[in-house]
Amino acid sequence: MAKIGVFVCHCGENIAAKVDCTKLTAAMESHPGVSIATEYKYFCSDPGQESIKKAIVEQGLTGVIVAACSPRMHEATFRKACAAAGLNPYLCEIANIREQCSWVHSDGDEATEKAIEITRSLVEKVKRNNELQPILVPVTKRALVIGGGIAGIQAALDIANAGGEVVLVEREASLGGHMAQLSETFPTLDCSQCIMTPRMVEAAQHPNIRLLTYAEVEKVEGFIGNFHVRVKMKARYVDMYACTGCGDCIQKCPQKKISAEFDCGLANRPAIYTPFAQAVPNKPVIDRQHCTYFKNGKCKVCQKVCQTNAINFDMEDEYLDLEIGAIVVATGFQIQNTSLYGEYGYGRYPDVVTGLQFERLASASGPTGGRIARPSDGKEPETVVFIQCAGSRDPSKGVSYCSKICCMYTAKHAMLYAHKNHHGTSRVFYMDIRAAGKGYDEFTRRAIEEDGAGYIRGRVSKLWEENGKLMVRGVDTLLGRPVEVPADMVVLATAMVPQPDAKEFAKTLGIGCDEYGFFNEAHMKLRPVETATAGIFLAGACQSPKDIPDSVAQASAAASKVLALFSREKLEREPIIAMNNEATCSGCWGCVLACPYNAIEKKDITDRAGNLIRRVASVNPGLCQGCGTCVTFCRSNSIDLAGFTEKQIFAEVMGL
Amino acid sequence: MSIQEHYRSRAKELLSAGTVKMVIGYGAGSTPDRRRPVFITSPDEADRLVLDTTCRTNLSGYLLREGLLSDQKQVAVFLTVDGIRSLNVLAAESQLDTSQVLVFGFGIEGDQARAIEGERAADFKSVIAAAKEQRKSQPADELQEKLEAMTPKERFSFWEGEFSRCIKCYACRQACPMCWCRRCVVDNNQPQWVNTSSHTLGNLEWNLLRAFHLAGRCVECGNCSRACPADIPLHLLNRRMADEVQASFDHYPGMDEAQEPVLASFRKDDPETFIL
Repeated sequence: MAKIGVFVCHCGENIAAKVDCTKLTAAMESHPGVSIATEYKYFCSDPGQESIKKAIVEQGLTGVIVAACSPRMHEATFRKACAAAGLNPYLCEIANIREQCSWVHSDGDEATEKAIEITRSLVEKVKRNNELQPILVPVTKRALVIGGGIAGIQAALDIANAGGEVVLVEREASLGGHMAQLSETFPTLDCSQCIMTPRMVEAAQHPNIRLLTYAEVEKVEGFIGNFHVRVKMKARYVDMYACTGCGDCIQKCPQKKISAEFDCGLANRPAIYTPFAQAVPNKPVIDRQHCTYFKNGKCKVCQKVCQTNAINFDMEDEYLDLEIGAIVVATGFQIQNTSLYGEYGYGRYPDVVTGLQFERLASASGPTGGRIARPSDGKEPETVVFIQCAGSRDPSKGVSYCSKICCMYTAKHAMLYAHKNHHGTSRVFYMDIRAAGKGYDEFTRRAIEEDGAGYIRGRVSKLWEENGKLMVRGVDTLLGRPVEVPADMVVLATAMVPQPDAKEFAKTLGIGCDEYGFFNEAHMKLRPVETATAGIFLAGACQSPKDIPDSVAQASAAASKVLALFSREKLEREPIIAMNNEATCSGCWGCVLACPYNAIEKKDITDRAGNLIRRVASVNPGLCQGCGTCVTFCRSNSIDLAGFTEKQIFAEVMGL
Repeated sequence: MSIQEHYRSRAKELLSAGTVKMVIGYGAGSTPDRRRPVFITSPDEADRLVLDTTCRTNLSGYLLREGLLSDQKQVAVFLTVDGIRSLNVLAAESQLDTSQVLVFGFGIEGDQARAIEGERAADFKSVIAAAKEQRKSQPADELQEKLEAMTPKERFSFWEGEFSRCIKCYACRQACPMCWCRRCVVDNNQPQWVNTSSHTLGNLEWNLLRAFHLAGRCVECGNCSRACPADIPLHLLNRRMADEVQASFDHYPGMDEAQEPVLASFRKDDPETFIL
């Protein structure tokens, strides 16, 4: 016998001003199966919750309806209150008479009538509700960190230092990412390599971290606590164990003129190479595309000079299958293709470079040993023009968003240039200066006031060569007139964009990304490091443009989320999942195709002797997210959703 | 040798060799122009097989009889192009394994039945592709054209009139090879979504529901209309759905057994005209 309690909330004036709560309460009181109906100003308050608890105990209620706001707001509150009074929380339902009723109707009588209907339909539903129990799933306490830049390394170290097991996957031959390419870092001007390489070594040598470089994540299946991940270990053609990293092979490789990715094309490398001197692991790889042996079938010079027989041209890609509990995605960014701005002459004039190229020129480990020199003739430029927002904040050509770091690194570039060339002039074309971090504004002021960077507020429209100078024509919007600056070198602060394959990779991971390809967080403000897929977290510039401090902070936040997950033996999940009626299932697998979470498996039904009788669909409770897609697909109505069964919904409809 | 003789001797050959355990075909019916399905299991019965222009029924549904294919043995069956397509749909929906089915393919042209080359479902790919092209150019029948010309209100009252004769005998469901659910949704009584009694509303619910369940699956064999004792032109409902599916998704059901069901698969270039 149903004993339902109906609790009508006024929500202050929010509901009561429109809906006649007394009339609603009276209507519910006389509805079959309702034992008690009361109204109150704020049921979500402590005394309000107490009165619900008291009614459950005193009346022995078998179901509770709170007619109030949206279930998104307070369903958890009221379910918890019910559970505290000994009632299964899934026997509590929220009738939304605020958003669906008082807020959207102007006529009070009609609103009241609708509120009665909504509440009545839920009373009918709750009579058919079942007690549901949370689902417990075990947790594999091993994290996968994808991306070996500063964010990935930080997340890996934080997890590993807390005792968690980590697999760190980097697709390049060495850890380091973009941070390893930088010269000095704002706002303190400490050398990037000096603070980065110890981190790289620490990650590589940490007993809890398994480092997989030159490897890519191919497939991710499973669910929070229980992911199955396939990693492709790309063939290096160098035996990692035999190689001592002596570098003889690199010296002797006849291919010398391959544009070095790490130096942004400002230097060359051989076909067998390590990306940079401090690479971790410091073992070379063979670039199959450019290797003479792979191209012509002859050469093998590296193999001949190798003392330890580490070169193996027969090596093939290998695949590793890993069991993973949580994933941190830290795949970083790229800089935008500069060919978008033909008027800036990138590619046409060798002395127009990107910010990242300037970093390599300024870096002590770079192609010029830290001497800022023009790529065309190696001379030190006397005037350098910096153009900010080359692609950022430009919806017509580039990207709409602000790349966040360019104001700061341009100020840094101007400063480094002034420190290295005391007679030089620098001019910065800017739209506005965004220097909101700790010590950031002071830093840009220093560039302007102490290091003489000349800031011009305005855009550059055109750039051409004249008498060996790069002529930069722009506008000074503060003076309201056009300006022309003859320069020896031009540096474009190009937009920070997602990795080119980010959208594809989002699909592999089953997470969302925005229109540009930056991965989406679950909630911009309140869940900034989680993704919509439980157990997958974000760190660094794969989510949005970020500087080093932000990337590191987010990486540690992601690590703390992983560790919170690992602190539990079992995970509790909402029991609202699909259930299949095996007796009526015909095994057409339409649900398998329809399921976005790969939560439906094929199950054999056998007789006692083990002979296969037929095959049916079976829902994996750990994977199912309760979206109901399979329910709507199944022609024979064999699948039902716990908490929203056909029977319950039918009763709800009939209650209207 | 006439096509009938050809398949009779082929049936004898297969049954004597034990290659197939049964041949599902057409036999003489209660009147000279009627045919009924026959299930031949020994070579000396093979002479009961008939093949002529009156052989219209799609026999593929009989393959789904519980237990028939569970022993991994093979069965031969007489099928037209539509029938072969339904075989492919059934395989795509995991209801049977085509390697267990030998096809006696035939087509009806004018006043003659003609054999189609091939014996395995996969052999008929080009025949099916040709049928797909032909369907596009095929003129709609008279009644269908009349229906298309009607206003939605007129069309609704047309179908209301038709369905008022429905006696909910479910012969359409029994005859349709695609109605293979172990439990039909209309037989649900907890909750009972569709009224079981044969009043107009319940009839409308049932017939529209069946049409929707066949969207992207119906091979237009016509079994439903032939089976209907109330002479309701059910095939027109399905034909209309098939038109929509072909126009919107270029989907022609039963191309092969790897074809994904149109309503459970997703392509990046799917039209989204229905999203406002």
